[in-house]
Amino acid sequence: MNLKKYFIRALHRLQKGPGYTYKELLVWYCDNTNTHGPKRIIKEGPKKKLIWFFLTLLFASLVFWQWGILINTYLSYNVTSSLSIGFKTMKFPAVTVCNANPFKYSEVKHLLKELDRLIEVALERILQPTPGNSSENASPPLDLELWHQIPLVLIDEHDKDNPVIVDIFESNQTALGNQTAAGNQTAADNQTAAGNQTAAGNQTAADNQTSAGNQTAAGNQTAADNQTAAGNQTAAPPAQANTTSEEKKYKLAVKLCSHQGSDNCTYRNFTSAAQAVTEWYILQSTSILSKVPLQERIRMGYQAEDMILACLYGAEPCNYKNFTQIYHPDHGNCYIFNWGMDEEALNSSNPGAEFGLKLILDISQQDYIPYLSSAAGARLMLHQQKSFPFLKDQGIYAMAGTETSIGVLVDELERMGYPYSDCTMNGSDVPVKNLYSQYNTSYSIQACLRSCFQNHMIEICGCGHYMFPLPERVNYCNNEDYPGWAYCYSSLRSSIRHRQICIDSCKETCNDTQYKMTISMADWPSEASEDWIFHILSYERDMSTNVTLDRNGIIKLNIYFQEYNYRTISESAATTIVWLLSSLGGQFGFWMGGSVLCLIEFGEIIIDALWITIINMISWCKGLKQKRVQARYPDAPPTVSELVEAHTNLGFQHEDTDALPRDEVLPPEPGTPPPNYDSLRVQPLDILGPDSDAE
Amino acid sequence: GAMAPGKKITARIKRTLPVKGPQAPTLSELMRWYCLNTNTHGCRRIVVSRGRLRRFIWILLTLSAVGLILWQCAELLMNYYSASVSVTVQFQKLPFPAVTICNINPYKYSSMTDYLSELDKETKKALETFYGFSEGKSKVRRSVDEWNSTGSDFFKQIPLLKFEDFSKTATDLRSGQKRKIEGSVFHKDSSIVNSGDSNDIIGFQLCDANNSSECALYTFSSGVNAIQEWYKLHYMNIMAQIPLETKEKLSYSADDLLLTCFFDGLSCDKRHFTLFHHPLHGNCYTFNSGENGTILSTSTGGSEYGLQVVLYIDEADYNPFLVTSTGAKIIVHDQNEYPFIEDIGTEIETAAATSIGMHFTRSRKLSKPYSDCTETGADIPVENLYNKSYSLQICLHSCFQKAMVDSCGCAQYAQPLPAGAEYCNYKKNPNWMYCYYRLHEKFVKEQLGCQQICKDACSFKEWALTTSIAQWPSTVSEDWMLRVLSWDKGQKINKKLNKTDLANLMVFYKDLNERFISENPANTLVILLSNFGGQLGLWMSCSVVCVIEIIEVFFIDSLFIVMRRQWQKAKKWWNDQKRDRSGKTQQGRDLERQGHDNPVCIDEDLPTFNTALRLPLPQDNPLPRTPPPNYSTLRLETAFTEQLPDTLEVGQH
Repeated sequence: MNLKKYFIRALHRLQKGPGYTYKELLVWYCDNTNTHGPKRIIKEGPKKKLIWFFLTLLFASLVFWQWGILINTYLSYNVTSSLSIGFKTMKFPAVTVCNANPFKYSEVKHLLKELDRLIEVALERILQPTPGNSSENASPPLDLELWHQIPLVLIDEHDKDNPVIVDIFESNQTALGNQTAAGNQTAADNQTAAGNQTAAGNQTAADNQTSAGNQTAAGNQTAADNQTAAGNQTAAPPAQANTTSEEKKYKLAVKLCSHQGSDNCTYRNFTSAAQAVTEWYILQSTSILSKVPLQERIRMGYQAEDMILACLYGAEPCNYKNFTQIYHPDHGNCYIFNWGMDEEALNSSNPGAEFGLKLILDISQQDYIPYLSSAAGARLMLHQQKSFPFLKDQGIYAMAGTETSIGVLVDELERMGYPYSDCTMNGSDVPVKNLYSQYNTSYSIQACLRSCFQNHMIEICGCGHYMFPLPERVNYCNNEDYPGWAYCYSSLRSSIRHRQICIDSCKETCNDTQYKMTISMADWPSEASEDWIFHILSYERDMSTNVTLDRNGIIKLNIYFQEYNYRTISESAATTIVWLLSSLGGQFGFWMGGSVLCLIEFGEIIIDALWITIINMISWCKGLKQKRVQARYPDAPPTVSELVEAHTNLGFQHEDTDALPRDEVLPPEPGTPPPNYDSLRVQPLDILGPDSDAE
Repeated sequence: GAMAPGKKITARIKRTLPVKGPQAPTLSELMRWYCLNTNTHGCRRIVVSRGRLRRFIWILLTLSAVGLILWQCAELLMNYYSASVSVTVQFQKLPFPAVTICNINPYKYSSMTDYLSELDKETKKALETFYGFSEGKSKVRRSVDEWNSTGSDFFKQIPLLKFEDFSKTATDLRSGQKRKIEGSVFHKDSSIVNSGDSNDIIGFQLCDANNSSECALYTFSSGVNAIQEWYKLHYMNIMAQIPLETKEKLSYSADDLLLTCFFDGLSCDKRHFTLFHHPLHGNCYTFNSGENGTILSTSTGGSEYGLQVVLYIDEADYNPFLVTSTGAKIIVHDQNEYPFIEDIGTEIETAAATSIGMHFTRSRKLSKPYSDCTETGADIPVENLYNKSYSLQICLHSCFQKAMVDSCGCAQYAQPLPAGAEYCNYKKNPNWMYCYYRLHEKFVKEQLGCQQICKDACSFKEWALTTSIAQWPSTVSEDWMLRVLSWDKGQKINKKLNKTDLANLMVFYKDLNERFISENPANTLVILLSNFGGQLGLWMSCSVVCVIEIIEVFFIDSLFIVMRRQWQKAKKWWNDQKRDRSGKTQQGRDLERQGHDNPVCIDEDLPTFNTALRLPLPQDNPLPRTPPPNYSTLRLETAFTEQLPDTLEVGQH
């Protein structure tokens, strides 16, 4: 029913034609709007009218411009940070302690025996000037198979332009008859090295190493003169190394081939032999150890009861059983205190060493693997509960024979997630499969980067690197099954492109916690107390009266909160929707005294204008169709525009008398003032009122 | 009409821009008009309200609203130049900083014998004489006289003195003569005077060479410090005379210092290091100095991917008096920064692996007017003597050096030379040490004005270092490690390196998170204006339009009216004067017409509706006139009678 009524009204309205003209509407709007400018336009005289018109336009454009700025500011999602510093009861950080050396040498000796002998003989050959070593003859034959998988070579740089590559076990090689084409191969190697060498300086300088493929491609270029030169010089003994003591003429390099006996080789040069030997040993031992099952590797590492001699947390005693064991590829068995995996994390509510963690560790330096790690000490790291300790990145050393005190300040950064900053809350939105989730640890950027690298490694080399966890159904790399892995790994590791891919795909966590450490050291135990301390600790460990500890193995650690133990920077949104609205309102109010209602008014006027347009068009169409002659009512009520003109156009009387026929009717009594148009104006408005209501 | 062009123009101006008075004839009328028609909310209430109390309350409320607006806007203005801090963390490939490494001992002692033998001989003699110390020989105290006869330049220049109580006398250690002490006493060592055992106080006296009564006395609680300081003064004198090229040769070469180098998994060598000669530390080497245009960067954190160097510290070749500790000093800095290694260097122990984890923070302050910092240092009137970008430290050092050259006539050895100056030595500037100490004291007490002139730099990079030490090489790897390193060094194997001659250093990024702390303006002009708008709108629903209105009404129109009043008064007074002479007939009529037919009000511009109501009635109309109806009452009535049923009707729908 209502609908029908509504349509009838609309029809009537259409029949009636427009009650307003655009001008009327506009003037009515100006007079009645709550916005400040427009009223002045119609209220003032003609000069001021113009001024006010331009002022209103100016202010309106200012408002829109500044609104644009405000909305832009809002959409840039700025944040403000607030900083708080102080002391509060906080979770004591998880403390991971490891030995710098991953395995007890006594336990892994049977695996590394061949390797150690190889490197010893090789070093002997490199360092000793006399060729034809006697010790070599006496010892059982070396396992050169192992050597040839990843050989160390000596680069003779006497002639800067034509460096000669000398395989350390060259004589053995030919003697064994393994390589019939030895001369050829070394020649080829030579080229590779020559190409590589000139490139290497640039590469390292610019840190812009091209992929290994390019290098070898460059190296593989055939150069006849080089070949002959190389053929001549392969016979030259490496013993000349020490004839020139002033300038170093020999360099060590690790030769990495895509597969054994292949020409596709690259040489990793080292300016220092020590570095070369270490790198070579790490590659070789990684290959050997990767074949050992995990249980066995854990057994070969340091056991908690041997390593952690004493533990005190605050006033409460603790022992090695309070530590969670975790196998870390770099450092073997690591032990984590207060990891919070199974039990509640411990709180610390007092600053100072008395209320922190005190540990006495033994690293038994005598049992270190000599070529693997040259630095001796404990490696420790403070990290958050349930996070994986990345000791190579954030770990610190503690020196044997010292007491190391570590004051901790927890530096937290709490950030807002998307869209304020590009960080991740729990790593679920990162497109890299987190391999460290098998430890039940939380996401971290280090875990992501390593997982990313391992994934690349598996993709390209077909096997996983020993230092990182493995996904399912993938094996660790070793020399037997994957002969080219070292070459592949080496090229992947130095590939900037792959690193960049990983950096781009990994996101940092929104809550970034760092433990700022103030480290100080003192000699421990003191000379006076040394004897009894060693005695008691030895007794407690082995139940024997012999002293099994010494200064080279014992470490004391104090880890405690500083007087101010936290510094939290938390972010909050600088621009909220409330801020935006109040700023928009402020701007509109400041320039024009407007509000949302004014906008609605304006919208209403636009709707009205549209409505008038529609009605106009319809009546125009009608007029065309019917060509009806409009009846002229002599007593037609004045339109609003005429009225307004009467107000604003200050003539008071219309020039043409036809428009106001009433004047003729009225007696021309002099002295009567013009009628009050205001009262008249109310009437037509009222007539129209119900109509507009009906809409 | 033949009018003059000037007159034409003025006529046109008059026509187009008529000078028209305000819409109200009197001030109270104007106020009333304003209050009724203004856009602000309070004023209308004042006029509309009936009753004195109500009106009073509304006046009070309006005034307090105005007061509040003024107060709040003043607050907003005062807080305009405040800054908010934002911290962003970005994980990215980070530029590796420059790492400058120095041996603690500046020059090879063996090669310095030509220059220092005299001084060392004297020092040894002094030690033997004063403390009975001699190297290896029997510790017989030599008689003072015996030594005296040989004569010593060094002790003549700066006599070492031993103080007896505070009786203003001291014994010259060389001659054994007692001296009267004049001048002020400076305790170099500690500010606390050692009152108990005055025997321990030893020092030296520096006098103004031109005026021997002007002396300054430097005392030390220990002979160790006194001898070292004394030695250093002489050492600087000697070094100041040696040209830079010679000094570079006397110091360690890159091959001497660096045994191995490894960066980001790749081998590096001396070509990656740039020589940097430091006046106090000799030859230092800067890794990744960016001198060849490229700056290395790291894309992986962790110790393997950082810089690893083994340094050769030739302990046997150390200067025994100049430096008493062994090791190296390193500093991590930006490529554009000058390494102030003597001020903020980190010491590296020998026979140990020092692992330095870095954490990168970049900070940026807002410069003027937010805070008093400088972007480039160009606005600071101190010439930058260092060839590096501005820092506070550089400014202070440069400022001091300039003051030194100005007042002492020569430059201090530890800082770079300004143009046209040369380093101090007592052959040319016998007075410099006294002058230097005087100046330095002034500098420390902030009397030189350097601290006032120099400003912070607005942006700076900081590498927070976490240093830890491990034993290196480990006992089991020591043997092969030293052998191989000896081979690296290219020495004969039988002359093996000692592990106390070696230091292993690792510098790496702990993580690749870059913290960027920046200040941002808390307010922009847009926000300030919207806050103004908010305040104005909240208290009075006012806007800039209202402000313009207020200016228009209260300043322009009011002034106009007041002036018009004055003009009329003046005119009236003039007329009165005239009338006094002519007769007193038209007085009453004038008063009536006063408000309406003023000549200013009548112009060719057509009146507005409001002014029309107040227009003067035609004077020449003799007919009696009906008064104009009260329109506003009419309007109100119509509004009610018409609108009320209308709203009712709407309600009925």
